[in-house]
Amino acid sequence: MIDLKFTVNQQNIEITVPDSMRLLDILRDELNLTGTKEGCGIGECGACTVIMNGVAVNSCLILAEQCQYSKIETVENLEKDKVLSQLQEAFLKKGAIQCGFCTPGMLMSAKAFLDKNPNPTLDEIKTALEGNLCRCTGYKPIIDSVKLAAKRSEKDKK
Amino acid sequence: MSRVVGQKVKRIDGYEKVTGKAIYGDDIKLPGLLYAAVRYSDIPAGKIIKLKTQKAKNIRGVKAIALHQDVPGSAKVGPIRQDYLPIVKDEVFFTGDVIAVIAAETKEIACQAAEAINIEYKEFEPVTDITEAIKPSSRLVHPEYKSNIMVHYPLVKGDIEAGFAQSDHIIERTYRTGYQEHAYIEPESVTAVPDPSIGGFKIFGSIQNPYTTRKVVAMFMGLKLNQINIMQSTLGGSFGGKDDVVNNMACRAALLAYKAERPVKLTYNRENSMRESYKRHPYLMKYKVGFNKNGKLKSMKIDILAESGAYSSQSFFVTWRSVVQATGPYEIENVKTDIKGVYTNKPYTAAFRGFGSPQIIFAQESLIDEIAEICGISPLDIRKINGYKQGSITASGQRLDQHTVSLNQVMQAAAQKANFAEKYQKLKTANLKNERYKLGIGLSCSFRGCSLGAEGTDTSSAIISVQADGSVILITGVTENGQGLRTTLSQIAAEILGIDINEITFLQPQTSTITDGGPTVASRGTIVGGNATIKAAEEIKKRIFSVIKKDLKTQNISQTIWKDNKVYNKNNTNLSVEFSKAAEKAYFAGINLSAYGWFKAPEVSWHEENGQGNAYFTYVYGCQVVEVKLDTYSGKIFIEKITAAHDVGKVINRLGAEGQVYGGTTQGMGYGVIEDFDVQKGIVKSDNLDQYLIPTIKDIKNIEAVFVENPDKYGPLGAKSLGEPTLELTAAAINNALFMASGKRSYEIPLTLEQVKLDKNLKKPVRQSEASHSKTKLHARLNNITTHTPKNMSEALKLIKNQKYRPLAGGTDLVVQARKSNDKLKLLNIYELPELKEIKISDKEITLGAGITFSNILKNSELQNNFPLLMDACSLIGSTQIRNRATIGGNIVNAAPCADSVPPLIAYGAKLKLTSFTNSRKIELADFIQGSYKTKIQSDELLTEIIIPKLPNTNYFHNYFQLGRRGAVNITRMSISVLILLTRNKKIDDCRIVDGSLFKKPQRITAVEDTLLGQKLSPETIELIESPLSQKIEEEIGGRWSAEYKKPVFINICKDALYEILEKTRQK
Repeated sequence: MIDLKFTVNQQNIEITVPDSMRLLDILRDELNLTGTKEGCGIGECGACTVIMNGVAVNSCLILAEQCQYSKIETVENLEKDKVLSQLQEAFLKKGAIQCGFCTPGMLMSAKAFLDKNPNPTLDEIKTALEGNLCRCTGYKPIIDSVKLAAKRSEKDKK
Repeated sequence: MSRVVGQKVKRIDGYEKVTGKAIYGDDIKLPGLLYAAVRYSDIPAGKIIKLKTQKAKNIRGVKAIALHQDVPGSAKVGPIRQDYLPIVKDEVFFTGDVIAVIAAETKEIACQAAEAINIEYKEFEPVTDITEAIKPSSRLVHPEYKSNIMVHYPLVKGDIEAGFAQSDHIIERTYRTGYQEHAYIEPESVTAVPDPSIGGFKIFGSIQNPYTTRKVVAMFMGLKLNQINIMQSTLGGSFGGKDDVVNNMACRAALLAYKAERPVKLTYNRENSMRESYKRHPYLMKYKVGFNKNGKLKSMKIDILAESGAYSSQSFFVTWRSVVQATGPYEIENVKTDIKGVYTNKPYTAAFRGFGSPQIIFAQESLIDEIAEICGISPLDIRKINGYKQGSITASGQRLDQHTVSLNQVMQAAAQKANFAEKYQKLKTANLKNERYKLGIGLSCSFRGCSLGAEGTDTSSAIISVQADGSVILITGVTENGQGLRTTLSQIAAEILGIDINEITFLQPQTSTITDGGPTVASRGTIVGGNATIKAAEEIKKRIFSVIKKDLKTQNISQTIWKDNKVYNKNNTNLSVEFSKAAEKAYFAGINLSAYGWFKAPEVSWHEENGQGNAYFTYVYGCQVVEVKLDTYSGKIFIEKITAAHDVGKVINRLGAEGQVYGGTTQGMGYGVIEDFDVQKGIVKSDNLDQYLIPTIKDIKNIEAVFVENPDKYGPLGAKSLGEPTLELTAAAINNALFMASGKRSYEIPLTLEQVKLDKNLKKPVRQSEASHSKTKLHARLNNITTHTPKNMSEALKLIKNQKYRPLAGGTDLVVQARKSNDKLKLLNIYELPELKEIKISDKEITLGAGITFSNILKNSELQNNFPLLMDACSLIGSTQIRNRATIGGNIVNAAPCADSVPPLIAYGAKLKLTSFTNSRKIELADFIQGSYKTKIQSDELLTEIIIPKLPNTNYFHNYFQLGRRGAVNITRMSISVLILLTRNKKIDDCRIVDGSLFKKPQRITAVEDTLLGQKLSPETIELIESPLSQKIEEEIGGRWSAEYKKPVFINICKDALYEILEKTRQK
């Protein structure tokens, strides 16, 4: 068992979990943050993507031990005071969601990316999201959403 | 007319999906919930001789184990023929068969119990080939049905022999298609909850067709339909895939819940899903066609074998659609079609978006292009000559006069948008040039019957309930599967009632609250659900109108307009009543404000003996144009653009409709090119998404959707179908485009690298002994790990000296391996050790700490300037998420043959520092790696540093090429790393060429280097490498299964890497 201290969505968490537990399981089963999804368990589909210390990671490949003192952000952190983020709004507007199962991971990859690259090229967007599989949308509306969100956040800064 | 219909409308279930609040199957948590696991068969075919469960029962926390004898109702289920056993008796028919199911306090305990069940078999030789299976000598998969042919549909129109006699040309072609896995991103999950109030169960989960699930569970549990209440969870993709497999899971969960008297959740991981879930049918299709010089089709004979796998499931329906549509949208006087479904001991096959059409469209559209080629006419003209027109008669004798036959219209729309005719002519001449990359453009057309047709009862239901404040609840018998049906049907209700879509709440149906609305399949959701919704809405309007007649001063509802949340007198719009006020008034007047809409599809007919009849009440038409780029060296296909034109009758939600096109064509592209479901001797080799590849964001450059609207008299507001047509055309169009690019016609999909290059789907051969007795654990999971994080390097080294630790860095390989391994793992988490994160720069070399991630390597400007070859390779490792975690040290020590950072590091002459508690040593990387997953590291050593010497000067040219099966996130099939330094007079002064994923271990190819050194870099020199390289490859891997592909391809890419450098030298 491991005694863990880390933060999830700005909340300090102290929890004791088995060594075999993955960050994904801690979020879903221990913290009830079921927005993060499991699609493959081997880092191929990206449905479990969360932001860890500022970068997008597959939470299915992170063992509990490696979460110690880390800073985690999940999809549940995007909406603030009942207001959706621009990225979420852009996903809705451009039809980037069908079944929605890849959406939380897609959003977290996109957020980690846009936080550091507010003015991205098409190729950069594709590279940022290459580790997130979507079986419904053909990706085109997702790319459009990230472009739109980037544009909007640029506007805000001006 | 409309305010919401035809517009881009945001999904009404979007909010919960972007916030993570939507509840999917596995998100369900209940008090007292038990977790289930299944015990699969270890072999594809055989008798169970012994089955021992005692050891499993004794495991603490196991609450119930259910076997075949525990089934209270009918042990066999299935939509037509009940040949499927959710829990088998004493025989297994494929490796996805379930012998026992377990419920326990935790998932881990359930998995342990599943693995503790001891089974002995008398193995049978599995039936794995459909052409063998239909021979009288074949063993019968299910002896009680007396034949491996589980269904045969004949169709006869005219006289084919007479037609062939009148033909100028007769050709015969054979086409093959592979399995396709749905690969919905959400694996299956079902939860069964005992409900004493109904004497049965509530069932939640990733259920596509709740009424079917209800029927199957009731049968299995020996209950009535009203004792099972199914509530669909938010569905994480289905595409036809969450029907039978989920029904069978529901049976097992219900049985366990019954035995344990507690709620039970059965969730599959990806490996379970790939193993057990059904797929798209592989087809073997023989077409014989007679036609005239001018391209007019005279006669067609079609013989198809469809692989049903271990069970019949939906094969009866799937093959029936194929028999109706097998000629394609072409009017032919004489047709004879025979399609047979065949049992084997492989994964069974059933519904998948397209449902028996993508296979035949691949064949018939490849064929029609070939006929055009023979006759010397264009792909457009051949289709115009033969294509269905208003009043044409189909192969099944149906006259197409009850809807607009728009084949030519969609073809024109797609061809114009894609500029087909012009590009076709241009590319034909462009491809005559001898260049590595060639371009192609191709098209395909189809007609498709809407809804179920004569294959089943075609009805649907809707309830509209208006509340006293004017808000509205809509419930339908068809379901939201992710495609956007809730939004579409709410739009239709809003349109008819003249209210804002926000006034409507769509309730996910429960089977106990609304009558069976049939399955949400066959692209019927909008058409039948929409019609039922309209009927309910029209009834509500009548009732409301009865109380506002006086206010509107009219006696006739046809004199009213319902819009903008008001009801108006059409002739005097000053007279109006707010919808909410009207509702309130009706409520107080005691009017029933809940109305039921029922839609029964128009009559259709079918004669089994000759395949004649009016198969569907209406049809849709589509045409797709695909533009490809082909790497002729490797056989890799790049999709440049897909233009898809579809007649949908009427677009309801433009955003949703476009989404169907983008998603459907992408799946169709996967089907045609990338997706290669591998089953060897009955064993599923494609057990996860690293082995079964689906398209990534980098696999299609552009998709364009074109909608043609010919409102249908049977469609709600004129709307018809779209979901399946979008998928069914793409593979065929790609194949036609490929022919233009390569000049060689392929008769088999998927168009894998090997299929394109060698005209065969080359696969690693598997021995039966290897196939059946795998050492990996039954349920992939992490369960036997202990971890420890050392305080510092010294502690780390001390620990690995004294104990058997495995170092854990980024975990992107190790955690994946641990998932399958039965070994206990003691991991030492070295990921955060600061000593491993340093980058030291000197004049001569750069030293990288082994724990640096690839993302950090790629960001470093010193590394960018000094080692561009390494940068190119690292940028193609895994995905962004993987590069954010994976470390260069891990990549090296893991020593996978496909490790991308290793070849460039060898080219740069990298050395490694290995450190133990007492010692440290340096070793050349080229010497360190011994072979696949083999290195010279000692158990007490850590790889701490990678020392990369700087090149003597900055004038080196570099080239890196990685070959993968898709656009991103590849397991490298082969790579080539080249560094070259030229003297002032262009002679090769230094030359380092390293293979990746080719030889037993990556190495400098000295035979090639020696040939080049001292020579002037020129085409002549480059051609000189062929012979020594060929000899080297032959020596190293000549006998291997993959050499047939790898040898010619590597020689070409190696040469091309040099040609690219030559090109760069010319620019300099």
